[in-house]
Amino acid sequence: MTSIQMPQLGETIIEGTVLKWLKAEGETVERDEPLFEISTDKVDTEVPSPVAGTLTKIIVAEGQTVPVGTELAEVASDEDAAPTTAGAASSDPATPAPDDGGQAAAEPAQDARDPASDPARDQVGGAAAAVPPAAPAAAMPDRGPRSQILSPLVRRLAQEHGVDLSTVAGTGTGGRITKHDVMAVVASGGGGTAAAPAPAAPAPVPVVAPPSVGAAAAQGETVEPMSHIRKAIASHMLASVNETARAWTMVEVNVDHLVKLRERAKDAFLAANGVKLTYLPFVVRATVDALAAYPPVNSRIVGEDIVTPRAVHMGIAVSYDAGLIVPVIRNADVMNSVGIARAIADLAARARSRQLQPDEVQGATFTITNPGPYGSLISVPIINQPNVGILSLDSIQRRPVVLEGDAIAVRSMVYISMSWDHRLIDGEIATRFLGRVKQNLESWDFAEDLGV
Amino acid sequence: MTRRTWLFEPAGAVPYTGANDAMHDLAARRLDEEIPDSLILLEHSPVFTAGRRAKPEHLVWSEQEAVAHGAEVHHIDRGGSFTFHGPGQLVGYPILHLGARPDAAAYLRSLEEAVIRTGAELGVELHRRDDVQTGVFAGDDKVCAIGVRLMRTRVTLHGFAINCDTDLSWFGGIVACGLPDNGVTSLSALTGREVTVREVRPIVRRALAEVFDLAYDAAPEQELDRFRAPLVA
Repeated sequence: MTSIQMPQLGETIIEGTVLKWLKAEGETVERDEPLFEISTDKVDTEVPSPVAGTLTKIIVAEGQTVPVGTELAEVASDEDAAPTTAGAASSDPATPAPDDGGQAAAEPAQDARDPASDPARDQVGGAAAAVPPAAPAAAMPDRGPRSQILSPLVRRLAQEHGVDLSTVAGTGTGGRITKHDVMAVVASGGGGTAAAPAPAAPAPVPVVAPPSVGAAAAQGETVEPMSHIRKAIASHMLASVNETARAWTMVEVNVDHLVKLRERAKDAFLAANGVKLTYLPFVVRATVDALAAYPPVNSRIVGEDIVTPRAVHMGIAVSYDAGLIVPVIRNADVMNSVGIARAIADLAARARSRQLQPDEVQGATFTITNPGPYGSLISVPIINQPNVGILSLDSIQRRPVVLEGDAIAVRSMVYISMSWDHRLIDGEIATRFLGRVKQNLESWDFAEDLGV
Repeated sequence: MTRRTWLFEPAGAVPYTGANDAMHDLAARRLDEEIPDSLILLEHSPVFTAGRRAKPEHLVWSEQEAVAHGAEVHHIDRGGSFTFHGPGQLVGYPILHLGARPDAAAYLRSLEEAVIRTGAELGVELHRRDDVQTGVFAGDDKVCAIGVRLMRTRVTLHGFAINCDTDLSWFGGIVACGLPDNGVTSLSALTGREVTVREVRPIVRRALAEVFDLAYDAAPEQELDRFRAPLVA
């Protein structure tokens, strides 16, 4: 086991910030392959792994600033995992067992405590993102002779051109194989077809295509590996679809007075609070109240039990360049609209600059997604497990509506809907809950709440 | 030990993207020990670049305004905040292998030293402001911005930008280096005469050679091609 530390980049540089992990726990890393990026007050750099092996544990999360020499992660080197003695791997408690249990197998050991107290385990993003670790040894690509030091560039070129590196004579320092050595082999016709597109002629027998090393790109396409965050999102979404009994209900809400209020109050609100006034804080407030009125919508399934927290920790889906993350407004039930607006602005900004702490993306009891600003009319979101429901706020539109007394008028209207888990609640409670949200939004005077 | 160093001095205003790509490529090959160290000295066509610590509010103009003024805006991988590059400014990108135990702080001090020596040769007293930021200052005003990244902790990327006779009104588009309380100046403003990039370039070249013990070789012609503006736009 090799301890990875915040490197010393100069005598006067005493601390550094982990900007980004370039590998997830369980992934293999080459010797000298970039493992993480750091920023100091002087320079930024990506830091390579000192050994080839598997990243078994990330100790310091992205966005944290720590002194030089602080242990950041552990890498089990290939030597550690080599099956030189029977049972060597299982004697190492940090080495995940090769188990096909999927996400369950990825749970860290500390989850042995009451799982009910740990709703964090299924959150997307943050350190808790559950990426199943690769089975040791079996998942490691053949890298040829272990003594041979190769740069990632050389490895990539060799793979692209199908060059067997064990047959290449190195001309670099200490007999290292350089890019030129590989290209010389390619130029002499020595390359194979590792990454070449498969022949078009259909193979006679196979029912299932063999796993390819990498996707082959047809002309006019590009191929790039999925990011760790993308993979985490993918498995989280798929797990939700597989595990929940999703149903969906929508209400239409007249938000005419909210539009007018926002128009009137937005400048003063920005001046007073330093954040823009959007509709989302109103919807969060109205939803928090409805969750208090219908506690089952704020609950979750744990085993065969239903756990219902008294507090509301509101997850807000935020998109950013790397994908989607759900930062959490903790104890949203004790906040007014101003507090919620500030919390949303703060969490969204830090989500987009990748400054969120791991505990800020964990523990949501309910989630709101807000595709409205992008122009959606109606959305059917996937439930953010282990929540019961996810509420979608879509775009506000001017529409003709029929008022009391059969008059027709133009009003600002919005569709608000919820995907909900039919395992836990039924249509009546889901619809009553949404009705409460609607009633709150249509009848509350938010002006007082905003202090304007 | 003297470092053999490829010297790149492309003529004219070099577009940012191509130069940035070429710099990263040279650094990657330096890391693989396929080529020697390099020093690139050039002028860019107008561009605002944002480092990893740049805050959106430090871009005073909108990106559209910057474009309307004829400048590009790029978010890049160096540390630091916003800066401007353009005509009248000498930009230096040293691509040096700092060895297995690099001292990035010492490297930055050496860059500053080379610029301070350059100023001295022109009769201008320049100094560090460790209380403010990396870079070279005259009083409170910055004359040379420095922003560096290391490739895999070992090979230097990006570098320094000395205002020679830069049109300083460009810096109105940003809060330069994220420092609202510090101004920006140029060697021309400091000397009261026109100090051009052409005049400063050989002085900087010499100062860097002294500080880092560099011995220059002209970069191979095909390598230099990457910095040349395309003939057809």
